[in-house]
Amino acid sequence: MTNLTKFKIIGSIFLFLFIVLTCVVEDRLVVSSLGQVKDYCYEIEVVAKKNGGIVNGEVASLVENLDYDWGKDEKKLCLLVNHKSIEQLKVEIIRLKTYIDEAEETEFFTSLEIIKSYTETFQHFMGAGFHNIL
Amino acid sequence: MLTIVLRVLVMYFLVLFLYRIMGKRQLGEMQPFELVLTLIIADLVTIPMAEISVPIMHGIIPLFTLVLTHFLLTFLSSKSNKFSTFLSGKPVIVINPDGIDYKALKNLNMSVDDVFEAIRGCGYFSIEQIQYAIMETNGKMSVLPKSQFAPLTAGDLNKKIDESFLPINIINEGKILEQNLKLAKLEREDVERLLKREEIKSVKKVLLLTIDKNGKVYLQQMGEKYKTTQLDKKEEKQ
Repeated sequence: MTNLTKFKIIGSIFLFLFIVLTCVVEDRLVVSSLGQVKDYCYEIEVVAKKNGGIVNGEVASLVENLDYDWGKDEKKLCLLVNHKSIEQLKVEIIRLKTYIDEAEETEFFTSLEIIKSYTETFQHFMGAGFHNIL
Repeated sequence: MLTIVLRVLVMYFLVLFLYRIMGKRQLGEMQPFELVLTLIIADLVTIPMAEISVPIMHGIIPLFTLVLTHFLLTFLSSKSNKFSTFLSGKPVIVINPDGIDYKALKNLNMSVDDVFEAIRGCGYFSIEQIQYAIMETNGKMSVLPKSQFAPLTAGDLNKKIDESFLPINIINEGKILEQNLKLAKLEREDVERLLKREEIKSVKKVLLLTIDKNGKVYLQQMGEKYKTTQLDKKEEKQ
């Protein structure tokens, strides 16, 4: 076996492992970060309904946490996902903060629904299903 | 802009590296599946290079996948003739002793004009001169001329000629190639002695110096006409 053949075999194994690892990391990252965002949305909804409105410290703190955690995950996701596909989520989170400041409840819940729908669509879009391959 | 510059550099060196490990075939010598691979790679790497919103991994992962597939196909075609034929096709005889095989031409989507163009490329201008013409899998034509039109060789005249040997480059553009020196079983002193005999003061003045197995030297100084000489017995250690 020549050195070039050995190199090709080792190279092929490396490439295969790299591809598999990237696919697994991407899948885990997308599922965990989008799942976390969705959990935050449901929690914010419950807390807002329990407290009878969005203008309270608990909701504001949850939105802050959502913004902070998403900011961290977004940086990681940008390594693997098209930046344009995930920038809309950040825009909606910023809108949530503004709606709290201006006490616009209808718009706040609309944004929350958009974020939830977006995370679901994106999880569906990222999966390796037959519909995505075709 | 800096991001684009860095992305271009990363993709450039990556593609360069992958092409090096894939082999050195030129565009005209590629098999169909290699040509397809080249076209896809060229298109694939440009997207993450210029589009900042697309992660560079969107270029790297498809690239790696293609190279891996290429290795796999090459491996399988080296192990199985059937698979190799399926992948690259097989050579087709387009001219035989009866003339042009029209059916074979149609199967190859070729016209008679294409055949003429290909045989002219091989140095034959009349179809009468050709015994067989074969369309190879890489799209090149190989021609076997009829005996009366084949070039005369020493064998035809029953002449015995010494085998020719590949000359070894010893000095290239003023630099002694140490590895080739070892290959020719020579010492640096042998070369210096040769240059002294030829009244050349420095190695830097030599454009090219080659030595073959019989000790025949081809020597050309910068800006001068070449000359041939023989290595002295004491210089020659081959």
